[in-house]
Amino acid sequence: MKYIFSFLFVLALLVLPARAADPEKAVVQIFTFSQEADWDEPWKFGPLRRSSGTGFVIKGRRIMTNAHVVSWARQLMVKRYQDPRPYLARVVFVGHDCDLALLEVEDSQFYNGVEPLDFGPLPKVRSTVVTYGYPAGGEQISYTRGVVSRIELQTYAHIGNRSLLGVQTDAAINPGNSGGPVIQDDKVIGVAFQGMPGLENAGFFIPPPVIQHFLDDIQDGKYDGFPSAGIRTAPLQNAAFRRKLKLPDDDRGVRVDSITPGTPAAQVLRPDDVVLQVGQYPVGSDGSIVYEGNRMSMAMAVQEAQHGHKIPYRIWRGGKEQTLAVPVEVSATDKVLGNQYDLPPRYFIYGGLVFTPLSLDYLKTFGRSWSDTAGAELTYELFYRRHESPTTLRSEPIVLSTVLADEVNASFRVRGRAMVDKINGVRIERLEDVVRAFETPSNGQHVVEFLPKNTFECLERTAADKAHQEILKTYGIQRDRRL
Amino acid sequence: MTQLRYPMRLFFLTLCLLISAPLLRAAPASDWENSLVYLEVTRKTYEVLQPWTPKARTVQKNGLVIGPREILTTAEELSDRTLIRVQKGGRGKWWNAEVVWLDYHANLAILTASDATLWAGLKPATFVTGKPPKDGLQVVRWRNGNLETRKAEFNQFIVEDARLSFIQHLQLEASTEMQGVGWAEPLVAGGKVAGIASGQGGNNARFLPASFIEPILTARKAGKYPGLGYFPFTWTPVENPSTFKFLKLPGDPRGALVVDVPKTPAPEPNLKPRDLILSVDGFDVDNQGYYKDPDYGQLIVENLGSRRKFAGEVVKMKIWRDGAQTNLDYKLPKLDYSVKLLAEQTFDQAPEYLIAGGLVFQPLNIPMLRGFGEDWKRRAPFRLVHFAGEAPTAERTALVALTSVLPDPYVLGYQDARLLVVDTINGQKISRVTDVQTALQQPQDGFHTVEFMRGDNLRRIVLDAGQMDAATKRILERYRIPAASHIAAK
Repeated sequence: MKYIFSFLFVLALLVLPARAADPEKAVVQIFTFSQEADWDEPWKFGPLRRSSGTGFVIKGRRIMTNAHVVSWARQLMVKRYQDPRPYLARVVFVGHDCDLALLEVEDSQFYNGVEPLDFGPLPKVRSTVVTYGYPAGGEQISYTRGVVSRIELQTYAHIGNRSLLGVQTDAAINPGNSGGPVIQDDKVIGVAFQGMPGLENAGFFIPPPVIQHFLDDIQDGKYDGFPSAGIRTAPLQNAAFRRKLKLPDDDRGVRVDSITPGTPAAQVLRPDDVVLQVGQYPVGSDGSIVYEGNRMSMAMAVQEAQHGHKIPYRIWRGGKEQTLAVPVEVSATDKVLGNQYDLPPRYFIYGGLVFTPLSLDYLKTFGRSWSDTAGAELTYELFYRRHESPTTLRSEPIVLSTVLADEVNASFRVRGRAMVDKINGVRIERLEDVVRAFETPSNGQHVVEFLPKNTFECLERTAADKAHQEILKTYGIQRDRRL
Repeated sequence: MTQLRYPMRLFFLTLCLLISAPLLRAAPASDWENSLVYLEVTRKTYEVLQPWTPKARTVQKNGLVIGPREILTTAEELSDRTLIRVQKGGRGKWWNAEVVWLDYHANLAILTASDATLWAGLKPATFVTGKPPKDGLQVVRWRNGNLETRKAEFNQFIVEDARLSFIQHLQLEASTEMQGVGWAEPLVAGGKVAGIASGQGGNNARFLPASFIEPILTARKAGKYPGLGYFPFTWTPVENPSTFKFLKLPGDPRGALVVDVPKTPAPEPNLKPRDLILSVDGFDVDNQGYYKDPDYGQLIVENLGSRRKFAGEVVKMKIWRDGAQTNLDYKLPKLDYSVKLLAEQTFDQAPEYLIAGGLVFQPLNIPMLRGFGEDWKRRAPFRLVHFAGEAPTAERTALVALTSVLPDPYVLGYQDARLLVVDTINGQKISRVTDVQTALQQPQDGFHTVEFMRGDNLRRIVLDAGQMDAATKRILERYRIPAASHIAAK
């Protein structure tokens, strides 16, 4: 009898998932050696940095972690729980907007004895969660228990310009915790990812809806990202405005105040349309929906969709309700307005003049007060022109980021950080135009015109052609372009 | 130029009063005791975002007797004045005074007092004529009833923005250990006035030189002072030989390269972008934009717009245009603060505003932006600051902002709207507060629609036109605002 029991016990151990009792066995420490791009001197990379974070094994022999743990990685090493051996890993998919990444380890031994963790549902507010991780780079795994404080859209600091669903907890989340699982009832219900300066006892984790969106997105082999609505809405709480739109005063519906030019929404929606429902979610007069019992921005309803999908919008237009299918896309321009990773900046160098696209990362090279006078024109160009003057918008504004001093350009007064308007009469819309413009025949001199005050500089064509290779050599630049 | 702003100056003034009084010694009796007077100016200032609330501000400065019943001082802090008092001998009785002439652009003013007893014993000072002295300079002022005299070391003549305008004119920089300078203290040498102080940064004080002041006063006395002229265009130095080759200029590099010519003011004939200014009034201009002044040495070409010339007068230019030299008689335009999209100054008028149903409309101008503090260029909303660099157009000569919304059920839903630039109201383009007033008289289908400039902000609000007057009345009472509007007379 005893034997049978023992057999059954062993059988039970084999059949039942072992992970329930000890999820920490699936939690790994990640060591990253990274090198960030230099946006001011775009052919360069910064110093090698070493950092660490946390990850956890999921089904399909993958490790989930934060994108910011593995950004700009030159080499990744992972260590299993209580195992001294380091394993080399590589990034398979990364979503910088949602701060998630999947890694894989080539050495199949890594997965021996590791049971992948499963995902659970969005936790309830006031429920208890436990974070697992290696904060502050410690050798031993750390557990912290906390309560779910609130669930709403949060700015994701890694990308900087997106707000996605986030969960706030009072469980301590410190550097090194990043990428670690947040566990409830033995299931992963979040990935720890950020804190907030000045907010005591508040950590944030990425909840299952965002994780699942990421996992669904990569099913086709590439990551697209979270789509945007392409509209800006304004609360519709003033009785006069509702009356003007012939809308009942029932707190339903938010007004479309403006539509981002160039987005698919512009083809379907109009200013002063009133959005009554997005997908399955009724929209309140303040633009909020109720998602899993939590009131939050209707942007959440859009973010549930994948790039290129259409969402049914119930709208009020011209005194009547109607339903429209609104396509949603990931905005390409959002990328340059946020922090960029892993893709080094495009550039072109000619005669010591270094041209590169204007982006937030480039502006940040001006220092903390980058929007001050020095960068005011560039700030306007990047953030405001698209709204105020979309017809004059360049698809990829180009700056002369720096001038590599040489006899051929030594007399230039413009030494960089200037917005390029034209070169040899060619209006510069994108980096390829710079290359083409310098190839355009000119009258002995190249003429480079800058904004906003029409300053210009001339460069002797023959001398510049002659000096070009020597300048690259002097400054140790291997290639004159990255297009 | 780094100049101390008013509060910092006051701080220095107070500090000096506190720490240096025991060390001061009365200067030996000098003629300056009878030429220098102490002024106290009380004026109105306004809470920028609550322009219906005036406050009083009092400052002390210096005045120089320059003729019969005439006291010269700087124009700074004389706007919106309510009381000016004069004291002679550094202590005792105060006499009321009034402004008889003032030019904010030049930062000069002349005061007088009707009480004859003030003038008894006072003696007019005289200005240095000819080449300005560089040695034996002193700064003089009244301090605690004594005349304080400190040595000043000449540093340089420079051409920079005037204290109260964007005219660039000649200024004298001298270093002195006297702190808190900038309140019209005279710079003297050999018993004559070489300049009056307009500001200080560190130990370097700025002075309006006698050679700048004296022609203005002479012209004013003759009733022929039209105001200062200036060069409104933008030029750049050129060091690049390739640029001269591109411009087909033979010979040595020379000339200031014009890069931007504003649409207003537009003197005829006017310069064009890519003109090279080779000389002005016979002075050759080098490729850095400097000319050699016989009295002051190397100065930038802007000085020739105010060097013994006033608005409306002609400066003779030789320019290089389209590969050939040509002459151009350039008529100096008169500065107008409202020539820019955002007016630079609004002296002597209470700030305009209009409250309509809780919406507070105000002109967007630089004085309003200064309300964000000393470093307003950083602290004010980026987009508003950026308008300061934009030019007016025929369609829009100025801007009006919805600066705030006074919460009330009438404007429920709009209470967070603030600092938005108004585009149209009821379909009418808005440049001035009077446009708001006019547009609100023409509601459409019983509604007022306010549209804001395109941007990343709120674009449109709608209000019930029929309820607006009652709401305005209620809001004025609730917020204890004396009047729904203040609009300057045309």
